Amino acid sequence: MTMQILLPKLGFSVNEANLVEWMVADGTQVAKGDPLYALESEKSVQEIEAPVAGVLKIMKAAGEVYEVGTVIGEIG
Amino acid sequence: MSEMASPDRATLLEIYRIATLIKTADDRFIELIKAGQIASPYYSPRGQELIPAAISVNLRPSDTVVTTYRGIHDQLGKGIPLKPFVAEFMGKATGTCKGKGGPMHITHVASGLPVTTGIVGAGLPIANGLAWAAQLRKSDDVTVCNFGDGATNIGAFHEALNLASVWKLPVIFVCQNNGYAEHTKYELGTSSRTIADRAIAYGMTGVEVDGNDAIAMWNAARSAVGRARAGEGPTLIDAKTFRFRGHLLGDDSHYISKDEMAQAMAADPLPRLRAWLIDQGHATDGALTDLERTNEQAFEEAVRFGLDSPFPDVSELDLDVYAMETAA
Amino acid sequence: MSTAAAKQINMVQAIALALDEAMGRDDSVLVLGEDIADKQGGGVFKCTAGLSTKYGTERVKSTPIAEQAIMGAAIGAALGGMRPVAEIMLMNFMTVGMDQIINHAAKLRFMTGGQTHVPLTIRTATGAGFGTGGQHADYLESWFAHTAGLKVVAPSTPADAYGLLLSCIFDDDPCIFIENLPLYFVPGAAPVPGERVPIGQAKVVREGSDVTVVSYSRTMLEVLGVAEALAKEGISVEVIDLRTIAPLDMATINRSVARTGRAVIAHEAQVDFGVGAEIATRLHRDQFGRLKAPVGRVGAARSPVPFSKPLESAFIPTAARIRAAILDTLAPSVATP
Repeated sequence: MTMQILLPKLGFSVNEANLVEWMVADGTQVAKGDPLYALESEKSVQEIEAPVAGVLKIMKAAGEVYEVGTVIGEIG
Repeated sequence: MSEMASPDRATLLEIYRIATLIKTADDRFIELIKAGQIASPYYSPRGQELIPAAISVNLRPSDTVVTTYRGIHDQLGKGIPLKPFVAEFMGKATGTCKGKGGPMHITHVASGLPVTTGIVGAGLPIANGLAWAAQLRKSDDVTVCNFGDGATNIGAFHEALNLASVWKLPVIFVCQNNGYAEHTKYELGTSSRTIADRAIAYGMTGVEVDGNDAIAMWNAARSAVGRARAGEGPTLIDAKTFRFRGHLLGDDSHYISKDEMAQAMAADPLPRLRAWLIDQGHATDGALTDLERTNEQAFEEAVRFGLDSPFPDVSELDLDVYAMETAA
Repeated sequence: MSTAAAKQINMVQAIALALDEAMGRDDSVLVLGEDIADKQGGGVFKCTAGLSTKYGTERVKSTPIAEQAIMGAAIGAALGGMRPVAEIMLMNFMTVGMDQIINHAAKLRFMTGGQTHVPLTIRTATGAGFGTGGQHADYLESWFAHTAGLKVVAPSTPADAYGLLLSCIFDDDPCIFIENLPLYFVPGAAPVPGERVPIGQAKVVREGSDVTVVSYSRTMLEVLGVAEALAKEGISVEVIDLRTIAPLDMATINRSVARTGRAVIAHEAQVDFGVGAEIATRLHRDQFGRLKAPVGRVGAARSPVPFSKPLESAFIPTAARIRAAILDTLAPSVATP
C-alpha cells in the first residue's frame, strides 16, 4: 500500500519549509524510522523519519521551499 | 526511589500504565505531525509523564484538572477517552471540541477536564473559580491546576495564589518545573530561589518535590489533595522535571546545553520506573510489555478513528459562538 | 400615564433590586468584586448593599484588588455551574482583566465545541463628569462588541437597568453590563417586579418623522433634551435608545430610518472605530437608496478624558454638538446630478 509523504508543519507560524536534502536515493528500500529527509523551518533543521517501510519514490527535488501539505514523495 | 509511604502495587502499576500511555501518545503524535497528518504547533510533555500519572491516581472523576497547551499528559492522566482526543488533534468533527478548539484547548467535561488554555498563567485564576464552585456545592471535590515554571512570573499566578489562600480554596497548584520558560533558563527569568518559596508570600503550603520520582510525587499529591478535601486550603507543588523535546516541536533546544540534555535523558524517569517495578517484584518484564502493547493498540485504534473521521462542516463557524445563533 | 404617587427609583436602587431578585430566585447566582460586601460598605456606589448580609459571604464576596483573579474566579465558577455577577469597579480596569474576558470568557463555548459555556455577568461603571481623568472614565464598549461571544448592554433608565440586569444574569453567555456614574442618581419610573428587558432589543423612546437619533447610556439624556428643544423649532426627532449594543437591533433602527431617511448616532465613547461607525455602515448598506444625507456620528473628542472642568465638559457629546449633527442631516444635501 502506497503512503504519501506530506511536507509537515514543524513550528509555530510556518506554512512552508525548505526541503534541504533527501537522505536516501530515489528507489531505495527504507525501514520505518530510517532518516528520510532533512527539513528546515523557522527554528532549525529537522530530520524526518520514514513513517512506514517500503520503496521510496521521490516526487519533489531537494533545495526548494514547499508549502506544508505538499506531496514530496511516496513509499510503497 | 524515595523512602516514604508507598502506594500499593495496583496503584504503582496504574501510574506506570498512565505514564507509558502518555509516552506512546507523544511518540505517535510526533510521527503523525512529521508525516503531515496533523498540522498544528505541538508541545511535547516527554520527560514529565510521572507528574500527572502520580497525581491522577489520587483524584476522582468529579475532581477537575486545568492544564495548558503542553497538556496531553495531564489530559491522559485524567482519563480522557482516546478517540475523540486524537480526533481533536486532527481537527475532525468527532473531536472533543468538534475540531474547533484544537490541541491547545482540549476539553472533556465528563472526564473532569473543563478547560485547557493557551495563555500562560491564565488557568490559575479559573482554577480558583472551579474550586469555589465545588465549595459552594458543599462537595469535597478539588481542582488541580497545572502550569510551568515560566507561568510563575506572570501576574495571573500571583493574583490567583493570593486569592486561593485568602478564600481557602480547594485547589492544588502544580508547577511542572522543567527549568525552562520557552527558551529562557530558570535562573535568567525567575527571581525566587525555588518556586516553592513563593508559597510563603501567599500564606500557603509550598512543597518542593522530584516530579520524576513516582513515589515522592504520589506522596506530595496525596498530601495536597487531602489538605484541599479537608477544607484546609490550597497547596503549591514545585515538581522538578525536565522536557526532552524542546518547547515546541521543531525547536532544536539550542538554548539547553548538550551536557544538561544528556544528563537528563540518562535519568529518563520512565525506564527507571520500569526497571524498579521489575526489581521490586511488582511486575514482570512480560507483564509490562503486555501493558505497553495494550496502550499502543488502543492508541492506534484512536489514530485510525481520527484519520477516518470527517472534518467539521463550515456551518460550524456559526455554532457555539452564543447559546443560540445571535445575529450581532 | 404616571400619577403623582408613581414610584421613582434611581439606577443604584434598580441594580440593587435586580441583584436581590436574582439571588433570591436562584442559589447559583453569586456576586463578587472589590468592596462589594457590607463589611466593606456594600460597594463603592452601594449597588450591592445588603446582599452579603442577606445571602451570606459565601455567595457575596469582596475580593482583593486583582482583576485577573476576579475575572478568572468568575469564569471558573461559571464553568462549575454558577451564575456569577462580577463587578469591575470602573470600566478602565477591565483592561487589567482583558485576557480572562477576551481569551477565555468570550471564547470557551466555541473552543470547546459547545461542551462548556460561561453564564457570567460583568457589571462595570464609567462616565466623564466627575474630574476623574484619563484612566477612570473611558467607554470601551467597542472593544467588547468587537469580540464574538460577548454580549454588551448599556441601559439609560432605572427600569431598563433592572430588566436588563436580570436578563444578563440569566443569559447563558458572558454579558457586559455598563453602568454610568452620573446616571446612577437620576430618578426614573420604578420597574415592574420581575419584568425583564430582552437583550438585543432597542426601544423607540420618542417618536418622530424627520430624523432618527440612536443613542445609549448617559448620552440619552442630552439627546432627549435636544429632541425636545428641536420639536419647538418644528423639527421632529425620533429617538431610539439602543439599550443593547451587541447584539445590535438593526431591525428597529432600520424601521425608523426607512421612514425618516436621516440618522445620527450619539454616544459618549470616541467616535473613531466606535459603535456609531458600525451602525452607520449598516445603515449605508441597508438604507442606501432611502438616505437623504450621510449618517452622522457624535461622540467624545479624540483624546483621553481630560481633567480640567471646561475641557471635560467640552469632551463629552454636548447638546450643542448633537444638535449640530442633527441639523447637518437636514441641511441641503450634496448636489446630485
